[in-house]
Amino acid sequence: MSAPSALALARFVRHRPAVVSVALIVLLGIGTIFAGRLSPRDPIYIDLTHKFARPLTGGHLLGADELGRDVLSRLLHAGRVSLAVGLAAMAVAVVVGAAVGSVAGYWGGLADTLLLRLTDAMLSFPPIFMLLALAAFVRPSLASMTVIIGVTSWMDVTRLVRSQILTLREREFVLGARALGAPPARILARHVFPNTVGIVAVAATLAVARAILLESYISYLGYGIQPPLASWGNMLNNAQSYFATAPWVAVFPGLMITVAVASFNFLGDGLRDALDPRHVRARA
Amino acid sequence: MRQISRRAVLKMLAGGGVAAVLAPGVAPEVVRGAEAPKRGGQVVVGLSQEPTVFNPLRPHIEVDRGVHFGLFDSLWRTDERGQFLPNLAVEIPSVKNGGISKNGLEYTVRLRKGVTWHDGKPFTARDVKFTWELVMNPKFGAYTKVGYDAIAALETPDDTTVRFKLKEPFAPFLTAWGDAWIVPAHILEPAADPNTAEFNTRSPIGTGPFKFAGRVAGDHLVLAANPAYHGGPPYLDRIIFKYIPDLTVLYTQFKTGAVDVTGMQGISAEFYGEAKALPGVSLHLHHSPSVEYIYFNHGKPWFKERPVRQALYHAMDKRAIIEQVYYGVPKPIEGYLPSTSWAYNGSLPKHDYNPDKARQILDEAGWKAGPDGIRAKDGVRLSFTDSTTAGNKLREQTQALLQQNWRAVGVDMQINNMPAAVIWGEFYVKSKFDSLLVGIQASVGDDPDCLNRIHSKYIAAETGSGRNVSQYKNPQVDKLLEDGVREVDRAKRRAIYVKLQEVLRADLAYLPIFSYVRIEGVKQGLLNYKPNSNVLHNTWNMYEWGWRA
Amino acid sequence: MRAYLARRVAQSLVVLLLVSLGGFSVLHLAPGGPMAIYAMSPTMSAEDAERLTRLLGLDQPLHVQYVKWAKGMVIGDWGRSYRDGRVVLEVIADRIPATVVLMLSAFAVAVLLGLATGIVSAVRQYSLFDHAMTLGAMVALSIPTFWLGLMGIYVFAELLRVLPPGNISTIGAPFSLGDRLRHLALPAATLGLVMVATWSRYTRASMLEVIGEDYIRTARAKGVADRLVVLKHALKNALLPLVTLAGLQLPLIFSGALVTETVFTWPGMGRLFVDSIGYRDYPVLMGILVFASALVVVGNLLTDLVYAAIDPRIRHA
Repeated sequence: MSAPSALALARFVRHRPAVVSVALIVLLGIGTIFAGRLSPRDPIYIDLTHKFARPLTGGHLLGADELGRDVLSRLLHAGRVSLAVGLAAMAVAVVVGAAVGSVAGYWGGLADTLLLRLTDAMLSFPPIFMLLALAAFVRPSLASMTVIIGVTSWMDVTRLVRSQILTLREREFVLGARALGAPPARILARHVFPNTVGIVAVAATLAVARAILLESYISYLGYGIQPPLASWGNMLNNAQSYFATAPWVAVFPGLMITVAVASFNFLGDGLRDALDPRHVRARA
Repeated sequence: MRQISRRAVLKMLAGGGVAAVLAPGVAPEVVRGAEAPKRGGQVVVGLSQEPTVFNPLRPHIEVDRGVHFGLFDSLWRTDERGQFLPNLAVEIPSVKNGGISKNGLEYTVRLRKGVTWHDGKPFTARDVKFTWELVMNPKFGAYTKVGYDAIAALETPDDTTVRFKLKEPFAPFLTAWGDAWIVPAHILEPAADPNTAEFNTRSPIGTGPFKFAGRVAGDHLVLAANPAYHGGPPYLDRIIFKYIPDLTVLYTQFKTGAVDVTGMQGISAEFYGEAKALPGVSLHLHHSPSVEYIYFNHGKPWFKERPVRQALYHAMDKRAIIEQVYYGVPKPIEGYLPSTSWAYNGSLPKHDYNPDKARQILDEAGWKAGPDGIRAKDGVRLSFTDSTTAGNKLREQTQALLQQNWRAVGVDMQINNMPAAVIWGEFYVKSKFDSLLVGIQASVGDDPDCLNRIHSKYIAAETGSGRNVSQYKNPQVDKLLEDGVREVDRAKRRAIYVKLQEVLRADLAYLPIFSYVRIEGVKQGLLNYKPNSNVLHNTWNMYEWGWRA
Repeated sequence: MRAYLARRVAQSLVVLLLVSLGGFSVLHLAPGGPMAIYAMSPTMSAEDAERLTRLLGLDQPLHVQYVKWAKGMVIGDWGRSYRDGRVVLEVIADRIPATVVLMLSAFAVAVLLGLATGIVSAVRQYSLFDHAMTLGAMVALSIPTFWLGLMGIYVFAELLRVLPPGNISTIGAPFSLGDRLRHLALPAATLGLVMVATWSRYTRASMLEVIGEDYIRTARAKGVADRLVVLKHALKNALLPLVTLAGLQLPLIFSGALVTETVFTWPGMGRLFVDSIGYRDYPVLMGILVFASALVVVGNLLTDLVYAAIDPRIRHA
């Protein structure tokens, strides 16, 4: 491992919440990937005799919902959906953002101006408004939600990549490579991207957090993932009526969202501290 | 005929405590309750959509009507028993009193004298004629022309007489005009463009018991009593229509007493148990004319076969849906008319939950189960989608239950829900769905006619117009529908519609589930609240409401 | 300077044009339409719906509709609502007060709490308080607003019964400041709590940067009392980047918090947006999108102009 990477890792490990978050994310990942095997029951099995069963009764560790379905099983399966959307949306955002940022930063000129204006336009839309408008107007599904959230989140990555490229473009090693006749793609791949990975990684983890949160908002409003496919967000649909009568149905999904989003936020924080020492501590 | 004021009659009744019985055709609208409410006070009606259209002739949704009932009058109204109550008219025209000509082509209506608009100007026959002219004006975006386009000419021999000359006999004419609000000619005629007049959204003027008294956008609007109302001033000083978008929140605010009347949609079935036990509250359960169905698209391969439809009906645990999902509130039904209708057929065969029979029927019809448990025939898998409005919790639960029921007999139902603005667009109108879980009200008022919805000429996907979205074609049904509209005699009409329900049930054009029962919550002490399935909003008699003294 | 200004204004207009094109396309190309709300009405027939569609011009080709709308926009005619024919500008203007009240209150909560916790955290770096604040701030950022709001309603309005469960005021009661404040408390607190995190962290970071600067060390070395050093020197300079943050967040005041308004039955712009989506009221939706975007664009433009005025290097970039 190269010296800077070792230092970065050391810094990361010192950031305790980030380390805990990694553990939590791994746990969440295992829980949701193996949801099928870990679920005590079939998440869509309706058993009206167990309607609103309290936690720890009738074999329901976390209780049952309005159709007698096991809350724990649904949480695990819903986690699959919410995390999948979060990660996939992040992937879309990173790919689109990096592409747009690279073109804008490397080629400059008209392309840069146009793309920059486009980025500004996207950033001018109040995010939740744009997301709701899109979500309300497309057929809701895992794929469409992923695309929508990704398509409204790439702008931050674009800005980061573009500014990195602008900085690096005039550096000696890039100038040298160009002088030697290396094609732009190769320059980008070998010189620019490796230096950008760090900041993009930070942006990516924060994008996952944001995506999970946004999916929950849209699903809560009724425009996101549709039942019977469960997501943590749509499990909270109509949550207000449950607080008084069956709080476990409303509390656990919200808790899961908070834990997942916080974990990714802390992870991003830790990465940022690890990769950018200037940002960290100002010695007073 | 001497005009008896409502107040005078009430005074007579208050001592005796006898509910008055009206002979049809008697002049004034008389309050039938025995107890006189006190004067003054306000009522807060909670609505889950915001009323913003104040011109009753413009396109509007049900909640707007709630406000129209306070601001405007029509010639007559339909009460909760299906009787016509004269409003702006002095009496209901009939063949007996000469109001309707023998050939059914001429209706003569005598209007009340001394009625004034909220701005003090007098109401005359000119206003009725103008209302008709405005609706028929091609430049005006009227919400409907039904009932208006049947009129060939409208004469006003004097200020208080209106004569309608119809193109051909039209049995639902009285019902249609029971719905026709009269708007002021002196305000809308001189307006540059009646579609965008201030009247429509800011300053409506009617002849109704309440005047428009202001609005806070997105929050509420206020109606204030009209002391010069022709039926006497209403008891209440003020009615406030409060907009609360979420039904659960509406219920919570009703519980805490902030809202006095849960508007149109009432209380959701899941709160019924809790609501029953609430102190200080009266619940009115009443049948609404809407029926919940599973609509089939008969243009799709699986639903063309009657055995499939029958099997689906047998495999459906209808009782569980009604008892468990809806807490036993709505009533099971086998036809398209609610039990309160005069044409209701009560002897239709009852639903039989029998999954074994379902499997047998499907086996005999040639639908064999494949390796995944789903049946198929001639290469077509018995797998279809069912759609309903997204976000309707109880419907989603119903779908989940149906999915499980039908899977048990080898039918694969996929759920594909969408927001209301999408599902009721082209998807519905142009018959792009497989099956729907939907609640439909056949018609307004008491009329059992549903020609538009089930006659083979009205398939929009084929002919471009009409509401027969299920693409159902049955010549026997077509004939019955046509006869039903032409027949004027009520007894004969009843026989036709009874037969219609029989045929539809036997053929299972759609699967009827339940007829809606609205749970309307009203704060205790509010007198004269009368649920009425014949109108589209239960604020129809706000002029009678009042608080117990 | 003038050339820079002209360039930036031109660019802003292009941005707004792109925004309107994008919004228009999404709305009109998507399934469903404004006539859907009447589809289930027993009083409107299919012919009526078609007649009304034509009257509203909805059957015309998309580009024709767009040009008509855009031309109107430029001269200040933002069209009329499909739902009730009201002028769009009026519809939006009616909702602004409620949104502004909510957002400003939430901002007040966020800024005051954020500044306070940020400053203390920076001064007492690595203390228990600092760690707790950082943790708390991050968790607050991660809670779904509507979930927090719902729990708040349940605890304060249903269990404890000390605060109302929503609305801007008691229905039908005459105006009372106390009443309004009681109704404002929960929504502003819910929204503000989530925003506190951003402000707290920014303040902390900004303060830490300044504290590390040489001139602070000089002041300390000179023996000026510690608290004075912090407040006078550090805060003044730490505030500048925060002003930028405020400028960037300002446009949000008008877009409102869509989800919070839904949970608390608050009659603001966010609520209007959700309702208009349900009705497919395109003119109102386009009006809100353009309005909110214009605010952001203008906000950015002003911020950029201020910086350009201060920093000559930018003007000539």
